[in-house]
Amino acid sequence: MLLPLLALFALPAAIFAAKESTHDSLVKLAAQSGGIIKLNAQTYDLLTSPTRDWSASIQFTALDKRRRCSPCREFDPAWTAVAKAWSTVPKETRDNHFFATLDFDDGTTVFQKLGLQSAPVVLIFHPSEGSRRSANAQTPTTYDFSSGFDAEPLAEQLSSFTPIPIPYRAPVNWALWGTVGTLALVFGLTIRFLAPIFRSRWTWAALTTIISLVMTSGYMFTRIRGTPMTAADGSWIAPGFQNQYGQETTVVASIYGLLSASFLMLTLVAPLQSGSPNRQRTQIYLWSGVIMLLFSVLVSLFRVKNRGYPFKLIL
Amino acid sequence: MPRAYPLPTDLSPATVTNTKSLVRIVAFALISGAAIASRLFAVINFESIIHEFDPWFNYRATRVLASKGFYEFWNWFDPTAWYPLGRVVGGTIYPGLMATSGVIYNFLQAIHIPVDIRNICVMLAPGFSALTAWSTYMFTKEMKDESAGLLAAAFIGIVPGYISRSVAGSYDNEAIAIFLLMFTFFLWIKALKQGSALFGTLAAVFYFYMVAAWGGYAFITNMIPLHALALLLMGRFTNRLYVAYSSWYAIGTLASMQVPFVGFQPVRTSEHMGALGVFGLLQIVAFVQLVRSHVSSKQFNNLLFALAVGAGVVGTVAIVGLTYMGWIAPWTGRFYSLWDTGYAKKYIPIIASVSEHQPTAWPSFFMDLHFLIFLFPAGVVLCFRELRDEHIFVIIYALVGSYFAGVMVRLMLTLTPVVCISAAIALSTVLDTYIDPSEPDLPVPEADETSGPSETTTDAPKKTKKDKTAPPPTSSGASVTELLSGMVVTPPSTSKKGAAKEKKTGIFGTDTRLAVILNAIGMLMFFVVHCTWVTSNAYSSPSVVLASHNADGLQLIDDFREAYYWLRQNTPETAVVMSWWDYGYQIAGMADRPTLVDNNTWNNTHIATVGKAMSSSEEVAYPILRKHDVDYVLVIFGGLIGYSGDDINKFLWMVRIAQGVWPDEIQEPKYFTPSGDYRVDEQASPAMRNSLMYKMSYYRFHELFGGGQATDRVRNQVMPKTGPTLDYLEEAFTSENWIVRIYQVKKEDPLGRDLKTANAFDQGKKRKRTRPPVRRRSAA
Repeated sequence: MLLPLLALFALPAAIFAAKESTHDSLVKLAAQSGGIIKLNAQTYDLLTSPTRDWSASIQFTALDKRRRCSPCREFDPAWTAVAKAWSTVPKETRDNHFFATLDFDDGTTVFQKLGLQSAPVVLIFHPSEGSRRSANAQTPTTYDFSSGFDAEPLAEQLSSFTPIPIPYRAPVNWALWGTVGTLALVFGLTIRFLAPIFRSRWTWAALTTIISLVMTSGYMFTRIRGTPMTAADGSWIAPGFQNQYGQETTVVASIYGLLSASFLMLTLVAPLQSGSPNRQRTQIYLWSGVIMLLFSVLVSLFRVKNRGYPFKLIL
Repeated sequence: MPRAYPLPTDLSPATVTNTKSLVRIVAFALISGAAIASRLFAVINFESIIHEFDPWFNYRATRVLASKGFYEFWNWFDPTAWYPLGRVVGGTIYPGLMATSGVIYNFLQAIHIPVDIRNICVMLAPGFSALTAWSTYMFTKEMKDESAGLLAAAFIGIVPGYISRSVAGSYDNEAIAIFLLMFTFFLWIKALKQGSALFGTLAAVFYFYMVAAWGGYAFITNMIPLHALALLLMGRFTNRLYVAYSSWYAIGTLASMQVPFVGFQPVRTSEHMGALGVFGLLQIVAFVQLVRSHVSSKQFNNLLFALAVGAGVVGTVAIVGLTYMGWIAPWTGRFYSLWDTGYAKKYIPIIASVSEHQPTAWPSFFMDLHFLIFLFPAGVVLCFRELRDEHIFVIIYALVGSYFAGVMVRLMLTLTPVVCISAAIALSTVLDTYIDPSEPDLPVPEADETSGPSETTTDAPKKTKKDKTAPPPTSSGASVTELLSGMVVTPPSTSKKGAAKEKKTGIFGTDTRLAVILNAIGMLMFFVVHCTWVTSNAYSSPSVVLASHNADGLQLIDDFREAYYWLRQNTPETAVVMSWWDYGYQIAGMADRPTLVDNNTWNNTHIATVGKAMSSSEEVAYPILRKHDVDYVLVIFGGLIGYSGDDINKFLWMVRIAQGVWPDEIQEPKYFTPSGDYRVDEQASPAMRNSLMYKMSYYRFHELFGGGQATDRVRNQVMPKTGPTLDYLEEAFTSENWIVRIYQVKKEDPLGRDLKTANAFDQGKKRKRTRPPVRRRSAA
């Protein structure tokens, strides 16, 4: 008689205790793995339980090699860095926001439940209780990847959902500084021997020529757009006039370079062969032939890119 | 001396000189004719019309200048642009272009040739292209000789990379700017070569003209200091450099500050600090040189050196410090995005959104420059061979130009001149080598020749002086000048410059000469054919009038003007038109109605407001429209005829720009389907389907197909069976091919209901009205 009544009284306390333990276990989980909770289907439900006074940001990813998700692997370091930055804030605020990662292979059911068809995705779950209670606690916010996979915009945007801004600071690029330092040192030590090379105009000529060749073959396009060297199926010519792969830059730059070199051969080297007219004649015909041939190759390459182009040479 | 082919030897020197200048003048006339004629495709295929977007504003401003005079124009406040803010036009433009047309117009009026101002504006760019050819000739002449100059002039006359911005009707700043660029560079080289303050001042005057004409003047502002700096670092400081640079910088900077739009920028922004720094550096170096020539003590020299270095360091620190303190503005976004290529997309989407700010893929280079693109590195190498002061300029220009052209499509324009010059140097060296009839002596090397032609003898002492202006000692072929001088009677064995060297070089035989020359001529002819094809097909569309080829032949699509004239004739003069900023200038120019935003994208928030209105639902957009007094909304829709440059394709930029200002209300991912696609069909996201832009584009679109499948021909997607409905706007006008659609914004309901309820009520009433006949029939 008295027991159920007691039990009834105990119920809220039990719920309270259970909730408390949920939070505690989450805190424990987070502490175990350096600030990022490695989720599976059960812990996911725990973390996103409908009544919660904590917020959470979850990275849905597929890091397994077999999944072939290169953006996932590209994004993961940024995620880890930001989570690590969060783990440095004082404990009482830190425990109000969790960073978690759910890999596709650990929680396929969750992916299906949320209807996620691509990865990586970052969802931010708002707290439904407590002082930071949010009105739309049941609908998580999707992180917008439009500013790239870098850690800085991630930290900046996530900071609007955490109790205090994430104290993320871009790590010092020791590798870069080291390389620069070493190069400077090497340069300083060997300047005496290298000076004739740097004073030679032909060093600079080679440098200038290579830079202008590379720049006029669309290198900056591939850099800015981040186009791959070749397509996934191995073809190296991108369809379309305003598009190209990295391989095209190499090919086109070498064609330009060879054509340029042939002209230089004709102007600078051929006239020097005053010893034997026949050798000179062979050279001149050879280089003229090379020019004709490469030029037609170039034009036919251009015809591939620009279907409407009406002209062609030999090829 | 053996010759490959005979030359007449009985010509008098006067005949040769006269023929030479006659040939040059005729060649020049032909080049100018070709340059102008190839730019007229647009006029012949379409009509004498102003093209595209920006030219419409320039034309409108020029009309104000021509009709009201210069002072009116200078103080012109345009209340119809950027409604309700207005725009101080006089202080926010580069007036050089309008002033040029104004001067030409007034001159022609004064000599009683009544030409319409529009025709002057249309023909200005072709006219100036002939001047560009001439200034390129002058420039290249300084680099090599007249024959290279003529080749360069011919190249720049017809090369598509320059035609793309200067066809008839493309009345934009670039039309005159490239001429000014080349001419300023020519004057700078001339000033540097002669150490002449006169040419330095002239360079400054043309620099001023350039500043008044085009924002790209910063290219000159940085190229000339870079050249001077390179010369300094190479230990080539001379008094000539000092005089040329100082006169150019001092006068040019003061003059450029007279342009209101530029104002104090030359002393307050980072883009101009390089020029100032080099100016200071030159003063220090000149001072050190001067003192050193008077004081010979070693210790004093050392002290002086330390002082000079110290002054340089202090100057640099001062500039950096002032930048940090905020006295000198850091690099503006537009310039900064050239270095940090990801910058614009992240922070200034409005700059990244412009199609001509995209990076360049290689086919564009080949399309615009054809075979010049691979002659260009050869020419640069030839410049290295001689490496006079002016060749260093070409080399730096080649480096900087090719980088910039790779980063931005539009900067192909600044690369084109140096490609033409460099390619002309390469090709003319080839031709010199192979046209030269003198063959090398086979058995015994000929004895050194002491008697040369007049030109060679004057050059000889210079050569020994290691003066940089001396012609190349290693040049293998004779230039055309020397060739011609070989035909002169007096000294019979003159044309052998190569003979002056120990090793006799040259080409044997006629067949080899013919092979190379014919090869070159073939390429040149291919170049001409290519240029003509590209110009007529790709660069001669006014984009105000479109042309499409179909079974019936050429069909002209004139929807833009149709719609703009409808606005002009059917709406009150004060009716405010809202559209995306691309069409602002055209609406102002052709429809003469106030616009909210236009192509002068100075106010990002205002543009974002329009973006927000376009990308929000009707209920959210309506208050925005009413607050800005918008009467009509204009959208461009290409789905019916497959015009891909329409607003739905630009829509994401509107969303992005609006998101930049209101990140809480507009979010880009909401406009994609859950799988991340950009779709307009059945699967389109709710935000997309409710957006004003979507509704206005596809309103009543499905009705056009009479129950059949409505297909968007740009995006190749099947539209939903039921189209969107509009409550707060009503369709006012749709052009023939549906490219332009104009909607009228409804006024508030007179009964104070919101328009949605009012509309529902109206439709309810209509339904009631249609019922009675049915009832009657059933009663019968």
